[in-house]
Amino acid sequence: MRSLFLFDMTFWLYLAALGLYVAYLFAKRPAMQMAPAGHPIDNLEDRDGAWATQLGQVATLVTVFGWVLNTMALMTRAFERMEHSGTFAPWSNQFEAMAYVSWAIILGYVLLEFRYRIKAVGAFVVGIGFIAMGAASLLPYRYQTAEPLVPALNSYWIYIHVSVTLTSYAAFAMAGGLGLMYLFKERAVNRGSQSRFYAAFPDLETIDELGYKAIMLGFPLLAFGIILGAMWANYAWGGYWSWDPKETWSLIVWLIYGAYIHARMTRGWEGHKAAIYAIFGFLMVIFCFWGVNFLLSGLHAYA
Amino acid sequence: MNDKPDAASELSASRPSTSGLGWEEFSREVVDFFASIKLAMFLFIVLAMTATIGTVIQQGERPETYVQEYGEEAYRWFVRLGFTDVYHTWWFTGLLGLLCVNSLTCFHKRFPSVWRSMRQDKVSVSLAFIQGMKQQTTLPLHQPKEIVAELLVKLFGEKGYKVLAKSDPGEITVYATKGIMGRVGAHVAHLSATVIVLGGLLGSYYGFSEFGVCLEGQTYHIPRGNFDLRVDKFWIDYHENGSVKSYNSTLTVIDQGAPTVTKTITVNDPLVYKGIWFYQSSYGDAWDQIEAARINIKDKASDKVVATVDLEWNKEKAVEGLPLKMKMTDFVADFAFNSTEKKVFSKTAEHSNPAIRLAVDERSTVQSTPWVFYHYPDLFEIKDSAYQFEFIGYQPKKFTGLQIARNPGIMMVWIGCTMLVVGMTLSSLIYHRRLWAKILPGESGVTLHLGGTTHKSQIDFQKEFKKLMEKIQAKTSS
Repeated sequence: MRSLFLFDMTFWLYLAALGLYVAYLFAKRPAMQMAPAGHPIDNLEDRDGAWATQLGQVATLVTVFGWVLNTMALMTRAFERMEHSGTFAPWSNQFEAMAYVSWAIILGYVLLEFRYRIKAVGAFVVGIGFIAMGAASLLPYRYQTAEPLVPALNSYWIYIHVSVTLTSYAAFAMAGGLGLMYLFKERAVNRGSQSRFYAAFPDLETIDELGYKAIMLGFPLLAFGIILGAMWANYAWGGYWSWDPKETWSLIVWLIYGAYIHARMTRGWEGHKAAIYAIFGFLMVIFCFWGVNFLLSGLHAYA
Repeated sequence: MNDKPDAASELSASRPSTSGLGWEEFSREVVDFFASIKLAMFLFIVLAMTATIGTVIQQGERPETYVQEYGEEAYRWFVRLGFTDVYHTWWFTGLLGLLCVNSLTCFHKRFPSVWRSMRQDKVSVSLAFIQGMKQQTTLPLHQPKEIVAELLVKLFGEKGYKVLAKSDPGEITVYATKGIMGRVGAHVAHLSATVIVLGGLLGSYYGFSEFGVCLEGQTYHIPRGNFDLRVDKFWIDYHENGSVKSYNSTLTVIDQGAPTVTKTITVNDPLVYKGIWFYQSSYGDAWDQIEAARINIKDKASDKVVATVDLEWNKEKAVEGLPLKMKMTDFVADFAFNSTEKKVFSKTAEHSNPAIRLAVDERSTVQSTPWVFYHYPDLFEIKDSAYQFEFIGYQPKKFTGLQIARNPGIMMVWIGCTMLVVGMTLSSLIYHRRLWAKILPGESGVTLHLGGTTHKSQIDFQKEFKKLMEKIQAKTSS
């Protein structure tokens, strides 16, 4: 299948992008921090700064290119599906769903980078996108091909229910990555670390706020996704809610983020706690997405 | 949601404290408790944790299954705590009810102020109030205060703010607000919880859901709808690679003796008649009927197969070349015998011990009705017969599994869901911002004190505030 080659290429590009973003963090050396010893900033330091900027630009370029390939892979897969299984939704099995999630994560990241001009986030969020893509490619080959859909999945609902839900997962992944980043940065701040590694990080408040925004995006999307699922179930299974493990777990994830959203309204739930909570929430999303399929049985066993 | 105590509420006059616990105080305490965010967080977390139980422990299994897996003692506790059907226990329903109470009380307590600020705004504030805000600035300007005020009104208006200005002796206050719908959205989402839960209750009390195993060509009475349903046809479509593509049943509703609706249903496409939904839910091999059976007829004397016949269901067939007439009258998929009632029945729906009953008419002299077994060809023999019958193969008859359901609460659930999605979207995309500007006479001209507050999206608001400030500076310096 042609799409598998493209998915493979995407995987390697994301790996390269991740490497570049990490390298960017290490290379970043703002002039301000080089000055304290009283030495004037000489040419070497200037060159170093430029080097970091260029690394950052290449990282963004590679990421965007990877994302374009990811898009092409999904589109190719859509065509393959059209030929074999009467639907074109390129998120009809676990593998495709993972590839779509990483597509959405990277898209979200690229938008964030263009809007807020913060590259350091890439080392974390592109990392998660890469892991999602990598986990997909680790699946056995028979899960990676475009097998025909089982009758229950063969419906137009698959286009919207699955994509909306997966997009919310991507938003939570973004929040999880930002939470992790917050904790890194916070540790550096508490230690008074002057390491150049952290110099490129945005300030704590910004990381916190961005993480909150990601969850504020994912939370209604997940609600919408669950509701679309309920509407679908009402057509396919004879009831909008049957406490199937997958739907229950998506509700659990939603409740967890619901608690988070409400906690943010009270004092003392920003920053550290929120970062830990966002990581915890993301782990729950991973369980909902992967764990449930492999550990618990239910109506969603096919996806 | 969105009710982080902000600077504005600090302005409100503190309540006169009364000694003793009066009724008013008590009811206020109760409202505060039930409207609290802490309770909401508690409920979200507890619901999430208890919902987990039902995904770890299989729900609605037979007692033996639990005893086998967890032991007898554990099973007793499961029953006591309702862990075998968590989602329908009184305490789980109670938690959902509490969540409704929580969100309704929150609405009752906090919506009036949102409503008021939609209708009339607090324009007059003290200077200290502005200076206490997270985003605030002081700009010395040279223009007269009326010009500055006019400029601000225009600028805020262009940005989509609703602007109010108030002129007092010596000072002008300009107030601008935007995005109140974000707060309204949160309350709409809160109300939706109750609507959804009520819809769910309505469905579980006045709705039903049943499973029906139906055979092609049969008519079934649907007592809940007082009409009949005929299954005209059932078939399965396959993909090229042999996997099932879809399974379909053509159904006809017969209401008061006359066929009224015919529809081919398939997975994802049910038939709806008089509020009752018929879903294509499953299919399988019937356990009490088959399409055809293949029988080997052995001559007892020579122990050789003398003929092989294919019998259709309940149709007598004369065997060519032999003085035999045969008919298949019964089938069981998993043979069992009830000795008290002297009745043969199928133990399970699985085809683990299939057997058919034949009606054999041999030269019109020996007549017998033996059971012959697919797995045990030598089990019985007919005493006076010259032949031995072997049941060597059969073509199963497919049944269509129909889910039959009615849910009168469903519209309410969808209305609640719509409210939830709309409310949440508003509340997360739109955030409430308020700006206050006070123009006071300064050393050379006027001093502008500008302050702004939002309940979330601090960085976006910070950016917006900075831009506004730059614009004001640019416009006043020219």
